[in-house]
Amino acid sequence: MSAALNHYQALAAAAPQTHAYQAIGRERLSLVELPNRKQEAWRYTPLAPVLDHQFTAASREEGLLEPEDIASLRVTPADHVCIVLLNGFFMPELSTLPPQVGLEVLDLEQAIQHSAIGIERLGSLSGACLDLFGAVNAALTGSGAYLRVTEKLTQPVEIIHLNYSFESEVLSNPRVLVQVAANARLNLIEQHAQFADLLSMSNGVTEIFLSEGAQLLHPRLQHDSVRTRHLSHLYVQQAATSVYKGTSLALGSAWSRTEFHLDFVGEHAHCELNGFYLAGEQQMQAMHLDVLHSVPNCTSRETFKGILYGHGKGVFDGNILVKKDAQKTDARLSNDNLLLSREAEIDTKPRLEIYADDVQCSHGTTVGQIDPEMLFYLRARGIPKAEATSLICQGFAAELIAHCEYPALEAKALSILQERLAPVAAKL
Amino acid sequence: MLSIKDLQASINGKEILKGLSLEMGAGEVHAIMGPNGSGKSTLSKVLAGREEYEVTSGTVTYQGVNLLELSPEERAHQGIFMAFQYPVELPGVNNTYFMQASLNAIRKARGEPELNSLNFMKLVRTKLKALEMDESLLKRAVNTGFSGGEMKRNEILQMTLLEPRLSILDETDSGLDIDALRMVSMGVNSLRSPERSMLVITHYQRLLDYIQPDYVHVLSGGRIIRSGDKSLALELEEKGYGWLQEEAAA
Ligand SMILES: Nc1ncnc2c1ncn2[C@@H]1O[C@H](COP(=O)(O)OP(=O)(O)OP(=O)(O)O)[C@@H](O)[C@H]1O
Ligand SMILES: [Mg+2]
Repeated sequence: MSAALNHYQALAAAAPQTHAYQAIGRERLSLVELPNRKQEAWRYTPLAPVLDHQFTAASREEGLLEPEDIASLRVTPADHVCIVLLNGFFMPELSTLPPQVGLEVLDLEQAIQHSAIGIERLGSLSGACLDLFGAVNAALTGSGAYLRVTEKLTQPVEIIHLNYSFESEVLSNPRVLVQVAANARLNLIEQHAQFADLLSMSNGVTEIFLSEGAQLLHPRLQHDSVRTRHLSHLYVQQAATSVYKGTSLALGSAWSRTEFHLDFVGEHAHCELNGFYLAGEQQMQAMHLDVLHSVPNCTSRETFKGILYGHGKGVFDGNILVKKDAQKTDARLSNDNLLLSREAEIDTKPRLEIYADDVQCSHGTTVGQIDPEMLFYLRARGIPKAEATSLICQGFAAELIAHCEYPALEAKALSILQERLAPVAAKL
Repeated sequence: MLSIKDLQASINGKEILKGLSLEMGAGEVHAIMGPNGSGKSTLSKVLAGREEYEVTSGTVTYQGVNLLELSPEERAHQGIFMAFQYPVELPGVNNTYFMQASLNAIRKARGEPELNSLNFMKLVRTKLKALEMDESLLKRAVNTGFSGGEMKRNEILQMTLLEPRLSILDETDSGLDIDALRMVSMGVNSLRSPERSMLVITHYQRLLDYIQPDYVHVLSGGRIIRSGDKSLALELEEKGYGWLQEEAAA
């Protein structure tokens, strides 16, 4: 499998050099190990689907899509800011970029070239992890989105990540840098989507910096097509009294892994991480959490739910580390799963590692099936079995999806879910 | 309307109904009383089609068809409704959505046009008002976090929406305050008609002051050990079940 490593190194060497940050990635690529199941972080995630393919690096492709194509995808109103990253490349002609007080949006490449405010932070969170895909992203990223918010924005901002290409087996490396200044506020809605059923891989890195008192509401919906490999790394750093509320819904892809890395650097900050995953047929969905409480008086809530059917496989690997000085930490982690078939599988591993003595921490996991009492109640009201089953699943998911706090996105997620579950429920 | 003959049913190998017979005509209201654990809820659930109960012998004929061959949803389509003794919480499932899905599933099965959301809302609001229920209950998840009384009212709301032919009320009065009891009874009485029948399971004579039954039966040890008119309920209130059980054993 070191063929994979050689392949990525070759891709990095051949990539056009647009900015200095890529050099860091190339250097890292020469140091990293291939991920393998002996590493704690990868123990439960099967790797063959991503390492067995020799993807080619995406390049900027113009004229592939029209603005109307985007209109059909977006969930925010047409006049709101919407940033389109096509195969990781910032596409101004597909994006909607009205000037807005308190918001700066740039192509990341330009932000680097013009030394935009805070650009030196790029890679400061993700760089701490020496992992192959992080290094690949750094080495190959040619573009991306830079966002800086300095006011309490009332309108949401949308980012649409698209994998779509004339080429086959393309690897995109979307990169996003978000900075929310002190006491500023942003609602950032992200979608990962596709127009065609292409075999491709998306390897994204998002770094988020919340200054004192900053607030970010961050719902994300991944509904890539069934042949995609999707990896996203999300890094959040929270200064004192900041609030982050992220809700990630992973519905699509053949293979998908979302990594959440959360770091508190100031006191009295609060974080809410919610996640939902749907894995059916031959799908694999992994959620990997690293929440670090290193300062006192912070609270975090990690709530994850999954529905698994067919031969679907889910992985929930959630770690909360409370360091010695992080007194009065209050952290609650939960993971609930609904299994609809015998063949479906979930590996769930919540972990609390606590070195402080005055903390309130808990974790809980459940793995269950459709409750026969619920099913009977619905059927006794005339609702056919298949529909009743699907309704129970939707209810299970809806509780989590409601955390998005953005009805248009919630409705979209629920309708995708309903469409996916209807034929499954009919066969149970 | 309903004819039960020598019904025997068990769950997990445990025999609960041990040869129960009951005849109900159209338009009749029958009350069933009986000690805890005697099999009243079991009878309701067997009639509603709960598959976990195994019917080992006997027949149940409803409007001329063999009821035991029908799935729970088919029974609902044919006009059977059971108000649950313990209504089930459905987290994440919106109450209005649920009731609309239920009504439309039944209408669809009968070849009637489905109601759109607007017309459904109109309908549900009138029913809600009649039961003096809080409209906020419509926006919540089905029974989730409802108080005991709210759950029971929600059951009756569904009953008045679905207008069943055969209603089985399993201890709908338990947990209701005095005003709610009156309200619920009015809801039930509003459905009384020559085509509808009701099987009312209760522990308390008081409900039967509001919903006057044509017949009262005593279920004990999985069998009906005594039937009579509503004066039987008064007698039971006074004397308990002991004397009947002794008589039955003799
Ligand atoms: N799943 C089960 N497994 C074993 N026994 C059961 C099961 N369900 C019910 N039973 C038993 O069947 C008997 C009858 O129960 P049922 O609920 O029908 O009584 P009931 O007459 O409705 O009582 P109550 O007045 O308390 O509501 C009880 O002894 C109960 O414990
Ligand atoms: Mg009972």
